[in-house]
Amino acid sequence: MDLVRQTLLRTLIPAAILVAIAILVMRYGQPYQIRVGYVFFINLTMVVGLQIFMGNSGTASFGHAAFSGIAAYTVAILMTPLMLKRTLIPDAPFNLDQVVLGPIPSIILALLVTGVVAYVVGLAISRLKGVGAEIGTLAFLVIVHVVFTNWIELFRGPRAFYGIPIISNLWWGLGASIIAVFVAKLFRDSKYGVQLRASSDNMLAAKAMGVPVDRLRLIAWTLSGIVVGAGGVLLATNLGTIAPTSFYFNQTFLMMAMLLLGGMRSVSGAVCGTIVIALGSEITRTLESGPVLLGIDFPEMFGLTGFFLGAVIVLVMAFRREGILAGEEFEDIWDDMTRRLRRDKAPAAALDER
Amino acid sequence: MLSLSDVSVNYGVIQAVRGVSLNVEEGEIVALLGPNGAGKTSLVSSVVGIVPVSGGRVTFKGEDITRVPVEGIVARGLTLTPEGRRVFAGLSVAENLRLGAATRKDPVATERDLNTYLDMFPILKERYHQTASTLSGGEQQMLAIARALMSAPTMLMLDEPSLGLAPRIVDRIFELMLEMKKSGLTMLVVEQNASEALAFSDRAYVLASGSVVYEGAAKDLAASDQLMEAYLGTGVA
Amino acid sequence: MEYVIQQAINALSVGGEYALLALGLAIVFSIMNLVNFAHGELITLGGYAMFFAAATFVGNPVLLLPICVLTAVVAAMLFERIAFRPVRNAPATTGLLTAFGVSIVIQNALVIFVATRPKPVPVPSWMQGTMSFGGFNLPVVQILETGATVCAVAGLVLLLTRTNLGLAMRAAAKDFTVVRLMGIQANRVILGAFAVSGFLAGLAAVFILARRGAVDPLMGFTPVLKAFVACVLGGFGSLLGAAAGGLVLGILEVVLQATLPSDVAGFRDAIVFLLVGAALIWRPTGLLGTRAELGDKE
Repeated sequence: MDLVRQTLLRTLIPAAILVAIAILVMRYGQPYQIRVGYVFFINLTMVVGLQIFMGNSGTASFGHAAFSGIAAYTVAILMTPLMLKRTLIPDAPFNLDQVVLGPIPSIILALLVTGVVAYVVGLAISRLKGVGAEIGTLAFLVIVHVVFTNWIELFRGPRAFYGIPIISNLWWGLGASIIAVFVAKLFRDSKYGVQLRASSDNMLAAKAMGVPVDRLRLIAWTLSGIVVGAGGVLLATNLGTIAPTSFYFNQTFLMMAMLLLGGMRSVSGAVCGTIVIALGSEITRTLESGPVLLGIDFPEMFGLTGFFLGAVIVLVMAFRREGILAGEEFEDIWDDMTRRLRRDKAPAAALDER
Repeated sequence: MLSLSDVSVNYGVIQAVRGVSLNVEEGEIVALLGPNGAGKTSLVSSVVGIVPVSGGRVTFKGEDITRVPVEGIVARGLTLTPEGRRVFAGLSVAENLRLGAATRKDPVATERDLNTYLDMFPILKERYHQTASTLSGGEQQMLAIARALMSAPTMLMLDEPSLGLAPRIVDRIFELMLEMKKSGLTMLVVEQNASEALAFSDRAYVLASGSVVYEGAAKDLAASDQLMEAYLGTGVA
Repeated sequence: MEYVIQQAINALSVGGEYALLALGLAIVFSIMNLVNFAHGELITLGGYAMFFAAATFVGNPVLLLPICVLTAVVAAMLFERIAFRPVRNAPATTGLLTAFGVSIVIQNALVIFVATRPKPVPVPSWMQGTMSFGGFNLPVVQILETGATVCAVAGLVLLLTRTNLGLAMRAAAKDFTVVRLMGIQANRVILGAFAVSGFLAGLAAVFILARRGAVDPLMGFTPVLKAFVACVLGGFGSLLGAAAGGLVLGILEVVLQATLPSDVAGFRDAIVFLLVGAALIWRPTGLLGTRAELGDKE
C-alpha cells in the first residue's frame, strides 16, 4: 500500500503536465488540434505500455503494435451495431455477427483478450533471450498482421472495419495515459520491476541470486501488452474506423522512436519522447504536404515523417543512447535540481562536507 | 625503450592504476609484481591500447603512443600476450600462427621466423594442424607466445604466462624467455609467481593498489626476505 | 515425378536464397554482435540501382546483374561506415535498433525521392524461361539460384579458411581484442564482413528481382524477416546454423505451399513462423546453437 501511495505521489508531475496539455488543447484548439491532441494521448498510452516491457527487461519489442490491433479489433467486433455487422462480417465465426455488447463490457473483454494473447505469446518470448526474443517479437507482429489480413470472415481482411461507435474523447485519452503512467511507475518501482531491471543489467548474477527472470519478463510483457491494448481501444472508439495497416510497421516505428528518444529506461522518458515526437511530426507533416513557406514553394514529400523518425532513432543511438532523460524520472531530476539549489544557497555547508 | 610517466587507468569511478611511472630499457627483462587486483593487467592493457589511458603519458622508442590504437602499437613493435592465453580455440595451430603474422609484408622473413619458433617450441610443430582447443594449458601458452612473436615485435609484454600451469612447464616457459632475451627481445613480465620471476628478470617493479611501491634490481628484491615479505607477502615461499 | 522434381528445385532455390541472406546476417552478427535490420534494404538498393542503370546508360540487362551486386556491397560498407561505427561496442539491442532506424530512413528516402509505387526492373529474358534438364522442364532462375548459392557458399568457405581476412573474421567472432593484438585493423575486418554480407545480399537480390521484375521501397522487409527467422532457427551467430536454417525454412515454405488448401494458403507465413516458434520453445538456442544465452557472446 505504501508503494501505491508513493507511486501516486510520483505520478503527480507527469499527470500535471498531461492535464495542462489537455486543457490547453481543449481551451484553445481547433477541431484539428483536438484530433492531434487525442492521437497524442493514444500514442502516449501505447508508448508508456511499451516502456513497461522494454524499459524493465532491456529487450526491444517490435511486436507491441499487434496488441493495440488485437484490442482494437476485439472492441470493434463486440461493439459495432448488429445492422452494420451483417454487412461488414456476415460470416463471422462463433456467431459473433449476432452478438453486440455495451461499451464497458466490450472494453473489458478487449483488454482481457489482449492479456490472454499476450500471456500465451509471452510464454514463448520470455523463453528466448536477447536477439532471439527481439526477432520473436517481430515475427509475432507479422503473424498477427497476416491473420488480420487473411481472416476475412472475422476481420474483413485488408479492408477497413468501420462503423465502430465513437464513444471516447480527449478526456478518455488523458485518463488512460495517466493510468498508464501510474501502472508503469508502479511496476517499475515494485519488487518485480526492480528485480527485472537488475536482471537486464546482469542476467547471470540475477539468476544466481534466484531472480525468476523468465517469469518476470512474462509478467512485464503481459502487463505491457494490456496497456498498449488500451491504446488500441482508444483508437478504435475514437476514429470509428480501423484497418490492419494501423497496427503494423508505421505504428511500430513511431512508438519505437518516441520511446527511444525520451529514453526507454524511465516512464518519464516515454512521456518526454512522445511529446517531442508528436510536436516534431506535426512539423514534418506540414512539410510533407508541400507548403509555401517564406515565399518558397516546397514540393510534396511523402515519407518525410518516416524519414525523420528513422533518423531520430539512428541519431539517438549514436549520440545519446539512453535518450533525452537518460533513464531518469521527472521526480529524480526535480530532486536533483532542488538539492543543487539548496547547496548553492549554502556554500559554507558544502565546504564542510568536503 | 618503453617509458610510462604518471599513467592512470580508470573504469568509471574506480581507479585501477594511479600515476604509475616505469621504464624498460632495451634488452631487459623487467618483472611487474604484485598481489591480485593490484592493477598489473590494467596497466599492461592500457599500454598496448586495449583499455584507454586516463592520465599520463606512454612513450615507446621515444614516440608518444598514449592515444595510438592497439593495431598501431603492435605495428610499432610492441605487443602483449594477454592473461589467460586467449588462443583462438576453433582455429588450428597453423592458423593461429598465421594470424600472428597477418600484417607482415615480408613472406621470406615470416617463413624463416615461423621455422625458428617451431624449432623453439617443438610441440607446436608436432601439433601444427590440430585445433588449438586440443592443446594443453602449457601448450596453449607456448602457442600464445609464438603467435605474439610472429608479428616480429621488438618488445613483448607477457601477462601471467605461468598462470595455471604445472611447475615443470612454468620452468620451461621461463627458460624460453631467457632464450628470447638472448635473441634481443625486450620483455615486461607480469607475474604473481614472484620468486620464480625474479630469478630471470633484470629489474622489478612491485605494484599495490594501483601504485608502484618498490622498484629496483631483481636480485636485491629476491635477496631480501624483508622486502619480499613486506611487498609481496611471499618471503618464505 | 516432374512435379516432385520441380518442387524440390523450387525448395532448394528458395532455401538457397534464405541461406544467402541469413549467412550475410550471421557473419556480421558473429563479429560485431549487430543484427543488421537494414540487410533487406541492400536488396532494395540493388534493385533501384538496376532500375536507374536501365533507365539511363545500360542497354544490356545482363550488365545490370553485377551493378546490383556491386551496389549492395557498397551500400553495406557505407552503412557500416556511417551508421554502425558509432555503436560498434554497444549492446546488441542498441545495434539492432540503429539498424532498424537505418532501414526506415532508407525506405522513406526512396519514397521521397523515387516513389511508393513499384518500378520495373528489366531482367535478361533467358532468366525467366524454363530449361530442359534430364527430361524435366525447370525454371532457369531456380537452377541458377541453386547453383549460385552453392558457389557462393563454397567461395565463402575458401575465404574463411584460406585468406588472412577470412581467418581474422573467424577469430574476431570469438575474441576481437586478441585479433587487434595481432596488429590486424578492426576496421578492416568489420568492413570486410560487411562487404561479404553485402555481396551475398546482392546475389540474392538478383534472383529476387528476376522473380518479381519490379522494385519498391518496402520489398526488402519480407526476405530479411525470413533471414532473421532462419538465423534464429539455426542458432544466432553460427554460420553453419544460418545456412541450415535458411535451407530448412525454404523447404518448409515450399512444402506448405504445395500442401496447404487454398483457403488457408494466405496464412502460410504465419504458419511457418508458428512452427519455427514451436521449434524454438523446444530448443531455445536454435537447431545448431550451443550458447547458454542466445544472442550473447561469451
